[in-house]
Amino acid sequence: MNTATQPVIETLGLVKHFGRTRALDGLNLSVAAGEIHGFLGPNGAGKSTTLRVLLGLIRPTAGTARVFGVNPWDDPVRAHRDIAYVPGDVSLWPNLSGGEVIDLLTGLRGGADGNLRQELIDEFEFDPRKKARTYSKGNRQKVALIAAFARPARLYLLDEPSAGLDPVMDAVFRRHIERVSRGGATVLLSSHILSEVEQLCDRITIIRSGTAVETGTLGELRHLKRTHFRVTGLAEPARLAALPGMHGISIDGGAAEFDADAADLGAVLAGIAEPGISGLTVAPPSLESLFLRHYSDRNTAG
Amino acid sequence: MPGLLQLALFQARRDRVTLPVWILGITLLGFATSSAVVTQFGDEPSQAAILTLAATNPAFLFLRGLPDGTGVGAVVFFQGFAFTAVLAGLMSTFLVVRHTRTDEELGRAEFLGSVPLPRAASLTATLLLGAAANLILAMFLAAGFVAAGLPVPGAVGAGAAVGAVGVFFVGLAAAVAQVMPSGRSANGAAAGLVGAAYLLRGVGDALGTLASDLLHVSSAWPSLLSPIGWGQRLRPFTSPDLFALLVLLAAALGVAVAAVLIRRRRDVGAILLPQRDGRERAGVGGTSFVGLAWRLQRSTLAGWCVGAAALGAVAGALGPLVSETVSSVAPLKELISRLVPGGQAGLIDVFVTALLGVAGVFAAAAGIQAVLRMRAEEAEGRAEALLAAPLSRARWIGANLFIAAGSAVGVSGTAGVAAAIGLGLSGTSTGPAVSLVPAALAHIPAALVFLAAAAVVFAAAPRLSILLGWGMLAGGLVLGEFGELFGLPVWLQDVSPFRHSSAMPVEPFDPGGALALAAIAVALAGLAVYSIRRRDLTA
Repeated sequence: MNTATQPVIETLGLVKHFGRTRALDGLNLSVAAGEIHGFLGPNGAGKSTTLRVLLGLIRPTAGTARVFGVNPWDDPVRAHRDIAYVPGDVSLWPNLSGGEVIDLLTGLRGGADGNLRQELIDEFEFDPRKKARTYSKGNRQKVALIAAFARPARLYLLDEPSAGLDPVMDAVFRRHIERVSRGGATVLLSSHILSEVEQLCDRITIIRSGTAVETGTLGELRHLKRTHFRVTGLAEPARLAALPGMHGISIDGGAAEFDADAADLGAVLAGIAEPGISGLTVAPPSLESLFLRHYSDRNTAG
Repeated sequence: MPGLLQLALFQARRDRVTLPVWILGITLLGFATSSAVVTQFGDEPSQAAILTLAATNPAFLFLRGLPDGTGVGAVVFFQGFAFTAVLAGLMSTFLVVRHTRTDEELGRAEFLGSVPLPRAASLTATLLLGAAANLILAMFLAAGFVAAGLPVPGAVGAGAAVGAVGVFFVGLAAAVAQVMPSGRSANGAAAGLVGAAYLLRGVGDALGTLASDLLHVSSAWPSLLSPIGWGQRLRPFTSPDLFALLVLLAAALGVAVAAVLIRRRRDVGAILLPQRDGRERAGVGGTSFVGLAWRLQRSTLAGWCVGAAALGAVAGALGPLVSETVSSVAPLKELISRLVPGGQAGLIDVFVTALLGVAGVFAAAAGIQAVLRMRAEEAEGRAEALLAAPLSRARWIGANLFIAAGSAVGVSGTAGVAAAIGLGLSGTSTGPAVSLVPAALAHIPAALVFLAAAAVVFAAAPRLSILLGWGMLAGGLVLGEFGELFGLPVWLQDVSPFRHSSAMPVEPFDPGGALALAAIAVALAGLAVYSIRRRDLTA
């Protein structure tokens, strides 16, 4: 493998035990240069632990981790040179102002780009003079995001970065992700919200109980995406079973509930379009239901 | 009412390790002191000898308290009460702040505030818990004294005296927690008030009037300003004075009620001291580990320096005064010249040396606190953001050790300068006043050993760092102050770094001891830097 195609992040069989808890259980993760990689999993799946291993803050029990080809435990300083990090639980110094914290965190990495810093503060509508103890969860998150984006980096490690942000601020955040990505930076974005990852990411790894269960581009993972329908007033609900890409049909009188594969949505919509229907609810799939189905599918197939 | 009890029990459960450690530790100290006195000063002549020695020496009066006649119980109370009361005060203030201002700062109070109970319910529960903890402490202490062979009524009275001082500080800390903006500052202010109570009592006792039998001293007025002074007036083993107990409990009730009234009228998390906005940009040095460490330590350091300055000023200014008081009693002149080499000048030196020794403990404490701040940074999740920067952990711990060592130097220096100024202003020339500055600085090497040892614990066993960091200082203090009384073997007493500091001006400066301590401190610091690299960041 030559340097041009060498992954920015690569872990092989990463294992991390905390006492009797297995936080990571043979995790394989590969993030190529320049991609925005979604790291998706439910609470407690091992996302934050992985990011801490990648920063060399904790030592893996077994397996290897490489960031820019460097073992982050052995040489954290070299690995960190081009990393911007947003922790999952942003804790600040209560008696420092937001502006001071931003300058501290960027200063330790070599100093902020002054214009960029001001631009971020304006866009996030952030008041840098207030003492950190007065900030809400969203404002603490803004401090971490401004500090991460106010200086160029080659790799952005973001642990549930939009937690606590309102939709307007979330849009600002996404704009900056896209900006650094256009500049060629690599982004690893952990989340438990599928829609967030979908909108931003080129590739996705799904982690569950410390193991990567799926990895690929959105297209490759399309088979995981199913939309949930609830329809009332169908003349012959039993007819639904004949449509393509249908799963888990349940019929209760005039109401029918089912999941449909994303690839077959057109055919399904055509199939249920009839004069008599009186109600239609369509819900995007939640990550949990996706996991549950993913496993039950695997079990029935196996 | 059942809700209140539930809250108090919940708080007690959170303290299920901390409180027993405090209570058993204080009880053990009380028991050890009394059994040591029973074995070493069991008969009246030896009791009279030690009491006379103490009564004529203001340093003893300042550090320990008032001699109150012979009898094993009276000697135990004189030797141990002031220290025990300080410990009960610290146990109480930390207990209260932990459940009040710290909870508010971290948002837990808000969560509990949503239950259908009155606004001040959580504070009231904390006050109940504090009172219960001190009641249990009083009973344990009394049981320990009885087990060591002291008379029962006196033992109960002595336990009550300590418990009442503790209860007073429960109330006072509750009031302090209403005013201070953070748990850390509330702890600092409340602990500072405990220290001030000890200092006022010390000044009052050192200026006290010696009875003609040379076995009793009655305190001067500053003692009346101190709850520890009031506790001492209880005199449980000789002439019990329940009025002093009532004064303490009434004062405790007064401050506690004030705290509850403030809490009822204010917002959750509200800070009574005005909060200013901060600066928009970091100042010079605000973007480095050293700058951050300094920023986090400076207000704590200011507190320690104020304490050290007060101690130094007392040492310098009061020494001549107290020695004059003692020496003006004509029959004592001859006695003192026999007991204390150098007569009145010697007496001043002994007093100054003892107080500068305490300032050395302050220096160690300031340094330990700076080191332990790293643990707070780590446990509260801030170290993660710092160490994600391209700077090594060695630089982080190094920066904090630098500020910690600087704190120790600053505290010692402040004490020395204050002592020199005090002695200079008092107009007594027993030698150049400036010589008290190096006398205070002589304690720096021992302080460095303590803070470096705390850094090793932090680097190797982070979860134990608070317990062991302060525990080592407490151990050093007990070895230093009580080692001889307990009859501990010399090698064990020698474990304490304080034993190897030069006790100037009584002793000459011992460069060998200072160098050895400094070398040990450097070695420990090196070990800490090495070990921090090898462990996980641990919440």
